[in-house]
Amino acid sequence: MDICFYFQVHQPMRLRHFSIFGDGEDTSFGKYFDNELNKQIMEKVATKCYIPTNNLMLDLLEKHPDFRISYSITGVFLEQCKMFMPQILDSFRALAKTGRVDFLSETYYHSLSSLFPSKEEFIEQVEMHKKAIGDLRTDPTVFRNTEAMFSNDIAYLVERMGYHGIMAEGIDHVLGWRSANYLYTVNTCQKIKTLLRNYKLSDDIGYRFSAKWWSEYPLTADKYSSWLSKLEGDCVNVFMDYETFGEHHWQDTGIFEFLKHLPGEVSNHKHLRFTTPSMLVNDVGARGSIDVPHITSWADMERDTSAWLGNEMQRSCFNQMLELEQPVKESKNPEWLSIWRMLQNSDHLYYMCTKSLSDQDVHNYFSPYESPFEAYINYSNILADFSSKVKKEARK
Amino acid sequence: MLGWEFPPFISGGLGVHCFELTRALGKRGVKIDFFMPKSGKKVESNDPNLRIIGVAETNIRPYLMISKTGRITAAGEKFIDAVQLYNSECEQAVLEMHKTEKYDLVHAHDWLTAKAAAGIKEKTGLSIVQTFHSTEFDRTSVPWDFILDIERMAAQKADIIIAVSQRTRAQVLRLGADERKIRVVYNGVDSAKFTGIAPSRTAEEFKNGRRTVLFLGRLTEQKGPVQFLHAAKKVVQVMPDTLFLIVGTGELLPLLINLSLELGISKNVSFLGYVSDSDQRKIYSASDLYVMPSTSEPFGITALEAMASGTPVIISRTSGVSEVIRSALRVDFWDINGMAEKMVALLKYRPLRSTMGGMAQDDARKLTWDKTAEETQKVYGEAFARK
Repeated sequence: MDICFYFQVHQPMRLRHFSIFGDGEDTSFGKYFDNELNKQIMEKVATKCYIPTNNLMLDLLEKHPDFRISYSITGVFLEQCKMFMPQILDSFRALAKTGRVDFLSETYYHSLSSLFPSKEEFIEQVEMHKKAIGDLRTDPTVFRNTEAMFSNDIAYLVERMGYHGIMAEGIDHVLGWRSANYLYTVNTCQKIKTLLRNYKLSDDIGYRFSAKWWSEYPLTADKYSSWLSKLEGDCVNVFMDYETFGEHHWQDTGIFEFLKHLPGEVSNHKHLRFTTPSMLVNDVGARGSIDVPHITSWADMERDTSAWLGNEMQRSCFNQMLELEQPVKESKNPEWLSIWRMLQNSDHLYYMCTKSLSDQDVHNYFSPYESPFEAYINYSNILADFSSKVKKEARK
Repeated sequence: MLGWEFPPFISGGLGVHCFELTRALGKRGVKIDFFMPKSGKKVESNDPNLRIIGVAETNIRPYLMISKTGRITAAGEKFIDAVQLYNSECEQAVLEMHKTEKYDLVHAHDWLTAKAAAGIKEKTGLSIVQTFHSTEFDRTSVPWDFILDIERMAAQKADIIIAVSQRTRAQVLRLGADERKIRVVYNGVDSAKFTGIAPSRTAEEFKNGRRTVLFLGRLTEQKGPVQFLHAAKKVVQVMPDTLFLIVGTGELLPLLINLSLELGISKNVSFLGYVSDSDQRKIYSASDLYVMPSTSEPFGITALEAMASGTPVIISRTSGVSEVIRSALRVDFWDINGMAEKMVALLKYRPLRSTMGGMAQDDARKLTWDKTAEETQKVYGEAFARK
C-alpha cells in the first residue's frame, strides 16, 4: 500500500480597499493590490507554518530514508516569497535537494482558467508555472488543477499537454461502489491516470485534527497509522492545504508532534510505503476508468464549482473579468496582463460565496472581508476601474 | 400588558412590537388584557384572547415631545403630565380588573408604563416582566434625569427584564439592572405584509426611472439623517440622477431641508413626512435600497421590514438588528465615505442588489413574531415561577 502525502501551498494576492472617491488616473499594480497586507500575512503564516513545517519536514527526511512528500506551490505564492520572504524559497530548495520531495504543476495564478471557453490562457499559465518552479523540479509529470477542479475535458487537455497523472477529489457519487484507493484512467482520455483524494483520511488531519467534538479526538500518529494499515487498495492519497500545520491548527493543538511521529509510526507497518505522485503514476497500474462529465472540486459539501461560481455576483465578476482577455492581451502592456491575471486568483471569487452556514464559516475564515458583499463590491470597483482604462486604450 | 401605542397610532418600534406580540401570543393561547391610553379613534381586537382596554385620554405621542437638549418644553410638560396621568389611571384600572380576572403577571413596556407596573406589584405581589425597547441613553445625547430615574427604578423592580438586543442589554446594565435577570428577545417581522407589494403608479411616476435610496424614521439625531444627507451628497457626485426619499418627521426637519439646499442636492431629496402603513410598504418596495444610519439603534424593526420587502439594507453597526441578520451591509454611522461607497455599489451593481435582496427576504422570513412570542412566553413562565 502506497501512501502519498501532498500539500497545497498558496497565498492569494489580496486586494487593496479601493475607494471610488479616489482619483482615477493610475493603474499600477500597487493601486489594486495590498502589498502591505499581503506581506503581513505572509510573514505571519511563515512564522507559524512555512518555516517550522519545512524545517520539520527536512528533519524527518533526514531521519527516515523512506519518507516522501509532495507539494504544489502556486506562482502567486512564489512571487510573494520573492517580494517579501525569499528565505521561504530557500527552505523549499533544501527540501527539493533531498530528492524525495515531488513538486507538481498547476496554474501560476491559482485561477479558474481551465473553465475559460478558450484554453490558451490556461496553457500559458501552466507553462508560466512550470518555469517558476524550474529550480525545484524540472518537467513535472503530474498536474494539480486549482482547487482540484477536474472533468473529462480538463483531463483530456492536461493529457495533451504531456502529463501522466492528474489529481482529483475522490467523490462518492463519481466512484459509486469503487474506492478512491486505486488509480483510474479517464473515459475520454488515452492513458492519463487520476490520483483521487481520500477525503476522509485527508480531512481527519486537515479539518478534524483539533476538533474536540470529534469522537476520535485526540488524533495520534499511532492511531492514524493503524487506520492507514487497515486500508484496502493500491494507494491512499492524503491531500491538504499546507497551512494545516501551524496555521489552521495552531502549534498548541499538537499538530507538529503528530507530524513528527508519523513517519516512524507508519514504518512500523511493513506493508506501508511512502510515495510521491510521480512515482505512483509510474509504478502503479490503473484499475478501471472513471467518467466525470461535470466539473468536480475539493471544496465545500457540493464538491463542484459553486464555491466560486455559485451566485450571481460571482458569475458576473467572472464573466466581466473574462471579457477583458482580448483587450488586455491586445494592449501588449505587461503590467496590465499581470493585473488581469492576478485578478483571476480564485480566492477573490471564493470570498463572495453566500452559501449555507457550515460552509460559509470556512469561507469566512479565509476571507479578509466583513461579508461576501464587501468582497464583491471591492472586486467590482477594481474591475470597473481597470476595465475602463483598458477599454479606453483599446478604443484609441 | 401595559403599552402606550398601538396601530394606527404608531410612532416607534414599541407600538409595532406590542401589536404583533399580543397577536402572536394570543395565537399561542396566552390571554392578554392590553392597556393603552384611550384616544379619539377606536382600537379593536378580533382575537378572543386579546382585549384592548383604553384608559386616560391622550393624543400625545411620546418620542416627539422631548427636545434633544433635554429641556422640558411646554409640550414636554404636557407630555409628562399625560404619562403620569396614564400610569396612575392604568394602575387603578388593572387593580380593579385583577379582582375578577386574577392576572398571573404584568408585562410593562419602556419607562412609559413602569410606574404603573411598580404600583401594581406593590399592591398585589404580581411579578413584572419589563421590556426595554430603548433607553434614555439611546434616545438623546443628553439623557434626561427624570426619565433615567424611572428607568433605573423599572430595572430594579422588574422580576425579569427583556432587552430587544444584546446592545440594549448593555444599556440596561448601565441602568443598574442585575444581569442575571436580563433576557434578550429579538423583534420579528410579519413578512407576509411586506412581500408581493407592487409599487403604486404614483410612486413609479415620482421616481421617473431614478434609482431610489430610502431613509425612514424619526428625524432626530439618534436616527442619523444628517449623515444620510452628507453621504447622499457624495453619491450624487458620481450618480447625479439618484433620488433620496426621507420618510418621517421630527425636530430636525427644518435643519435637514436647509442642509439639502446647502449641499446643493435639494433636487435629489424628497421629504415625504409621515406616511400611512400601507404607503410605507409601497415605499419600501419602490426603493432600491434602505439606509438606517442610526447613531444608536436598540433594534431597528424598519430594517427588517425593508428586508422582508426584498429591499437590500445598509445599517449602522450600532444597531440591535445587526446582531441577527446576515444579508446587510454594515457601516459606522460617522463614516460618510463608507456609507456613500456602499450606497453607490448597491445602486450600480444589479447582481449585488438581487443577491442581497433575495437573501434579505430569507433572513426576514426566519425572524417571525411567533418566535418572539415563543421566547417571551418562556420568560413569562420564568417570571411566574418567581412569584
